[in-house]
Amino acid sequence: MDQSQLRRARFIDSSLLGRKRSVQEQIAAEGGQGAAEEEVIPIMKEVETETTIDRQKVLMSCKELLQCEIEPLHKDFHREYLDYVLAQPLPPQMTALDASQPWMLYWVANSLASLNEEWLNDDVKIMMAKKLNVIGSSKTEKMGPFGGGIGQMPHIAGTYASINALALCGNIENCWDYIDRESIYQWLLSLKQSNGGFKTCVEVGEVDTRGVYCALSIASMLNIMTEELVQGVVQYLVSCQTYEGGFGGCPQEDEAHGGYTFCAVASLMILDALDQINVDKLLEWCSARQLNEEKGLNGRNNKLVDGCYSFWVGATGAILETKGYVCPIDKNALHEYICQCCQDPAMPGLRDKPGKHADLYHTNYVLLGLAITEAIYTETSQDGPVRSSPALHIESTTNTKLRFKTSGLSPINPVYGVPVVNLRQFAEYFHHK
Amino acid sequence: MTDCYDEFNLEDYADVEPLPIVTGLKDELCQIMYSEEYKQLMGLMRAFLSSNELTPRAMRLTARVIAVAPAFYTAWNYRFNIVVAIAKDRLDQEFQWLDEVTLNNPKNYQIWSYRQALVENLGQDLTLRGDLPIMDMMLDDDTKNYHVWSYRKWAVLHFKDFTHELSFVDKLIDRDVYNNSAWNHRMFYMKNVSPDDRTIDEEITYTKNKIELVPQNISSWNYLRGLYDHFKPETGHKGELLKFAGGFIDALDLNATADSAESLPEIESSYALEFLASEYATEGQLQRAKNAYQCLALKYDPIRGSFWNYKITTLEA
Repeated sequence: MDQSQLRRARFIDSSLLGRKRSVQEQIAAEGGQGAAEEEVIPIMKEVETETTIDRQKVLMSCKELLQCEIEPLHKDFHREYLDYVLAQPLPPQMTALDASQPWMLYWVANSLASLNEEWLNDDVKIMMAKKLNVIGSSKTEKMGPFGGGIGQMPHIAGTYASINALALCGNIENCWDYIDRESIYQWLLSLKQSNGGFKTCVEVGEVDTRGVYCALSIASMLNIMTEELVQGVVQYLVSCQTYEGGFGGCPQEDEAHGGYTFCAVASLMILDALDQINVDKLLEWCSARQLNEEKGLNGRNNKLVDGCYSFWVGATGAILETKGYVCPIDKNALHEYICQCCQDPAMPGLRDKPGKHADLYHTNYVLLGLAITEAIYTETSQDGPVRSSPALHIESTTNTKLRFKTSGLSPINPVYGVPVVNLRQFAEYFHHK
Repeated sequence: MTDCYDEFNLEDYADVEPLPIVTGLKDELCQIMYSEEYKQLMGLMRAFLSSNELTPRAMRLTARVIAVAPAFYTAWNYRFNIVVAIAKDRLDQEFQWLDEVTLNNPKNYQIWSYRQALVENLGQDLTLRGDLPIMDMMLDDDTKNYHVWSYRKWAVLHFKDFTHELSFVDKLIDRDVYNNSAWNHRMFYMKNVSPDDRTIDEEITYTKNKIELVPQNISSWNYLRGLYDHFKPETGHKGELLKFAGGFIDALDLNATADSAESLPEIESSYALEFLASEYATEGQLQRAKNAYQCLALKYDPIRGSFWNYKITTLEA
């Protein structure tokens, strides 16, 4: 280290860095060495590292739950969690989500609407539209773009969540008429980068496939997609596909990741450009997300299963299915993971994995993932708006090959992550604008 | 007059009227029960945002807000504007402050876009060496932290300094051969340094050794396949490499069609079999490729059955 590094390193307090685990090396038993041997996965030679230790713990708890009798989705029970969140102010520890208030609204409302259209009632819709109006308006009556809360800067993810949440409101009290499409469009243009990406925020912000997805989702729903807005975007997305087959966040050989892959693939679907990528490698990578033992999906190679990838990766598979490719996900197995491992009999709401607590984010994306396992996706002939994206016209029908009783969830659109009915109503409304 | 990097002191803001941070709507949905301290702090933040005061006390306020609410991106943006206006000759101190915030908030990602904005806009005299200690420490603590790896790639490209990368990933792969982020970074390195044939061959040997250590590891197999696809696309993966992969499945007869999982032997690596299947398919040994995919679907990786069956249909087409 040279002097300047040492000076900097002084401020790095190693006690903050937490535990350092020692790595033990051992070759696991090569199988079949007597009945006393613990059961081993058929594939044998393994070195014990942080990766295997972490997975072993999860594997044990999942296996136990997967052996139990199959659980249905406890809809009424999960509704209690969502109604509770809506019924009173949130405790101070939720301050961590202060810059994500539109997200909270979208997660709660979308979870309710996915469970049962009727459960998102008009009172909630009115309150939601009012709150978003306050967050999204500066001086005029009109709203948008939106930040994470009142007085916060406009943010692409906050605006995405707000538009989705408003779509769920229906046009209650004419709230859709207050969306300022022109301002949103100009602002999206200002976030556009020369390499085809979008920045999350005007000054300091990330440029990655997430920004692209949010921009295209907003623009296609509001019918403000233009040549100028989408120029260079396909090329940007194409260069995010890595040697592993999935997509990284940025076109610099970032690691393939479930969330960024969803954002890239959903964006390509909106742009009708899935034929520009290596679909076979993508199918290979998506299928490798599903783990034989846990049955659920992880987000990267050699990482742990997490219920939220039921949507991020499950929806990627559903989009590919829509375009006539094979669905790379075993929907029966994923259904089992969700029902057995993401529900906790003691606590309503859905969770990442056994041992974790339910939260709004996971409740929403696990439910969406479950809806995907119970559906088959096809492209409808475009009798609707001509200029709009094919992504708005995905049809969801019941998956008759599911081995389990379906949960009666609302059919959802895998590109936008909202129920088909709400999306259609919203897009049609703005098609005429 | 107090300094940009002094402690936050509420008395410095006595003349400022905090703005409300709640909507004022009756029965506001998902309203957070903020602590009084938080309300006051954020109310001040809003007041400053609206007056856009670019002063040392405004900078101290952002530090306080970020300490309390690191995901509050608006404060990061505001701070950036203040630094540009009044503290751009004090980058050393700004990075010291940022390093402390980073260590306290390993999962936050505003930190890394803020760092990037500083380096990109103000850091003409910086080098990668300035970023190395904090990146190394963060990755030592959380070896798969996506934001740190992504920033690291950006910084390496920005400073065009690849000299530390290979030894760094060597260390991480030695520590955990399953660390896919480290393997991915290795590929990033290779693709950017234009290695000669000898280096590529050494790299292939390195990877094979890691596969021999742990044959059932998707990260090292993907890397091996990625190396060939990128650097040796014309040679195919023939001969020696097929033998290498075959060594992990030697109990399996790919000339015979399998009909049940029970009849199939144990193998050391499903990824070796997957690799062989795709090689046989490329070489036109369609029956062997088909048998290999069938074995994967029946026994070695059955959850990916729909993908394996799809591969079989592409052979028959």
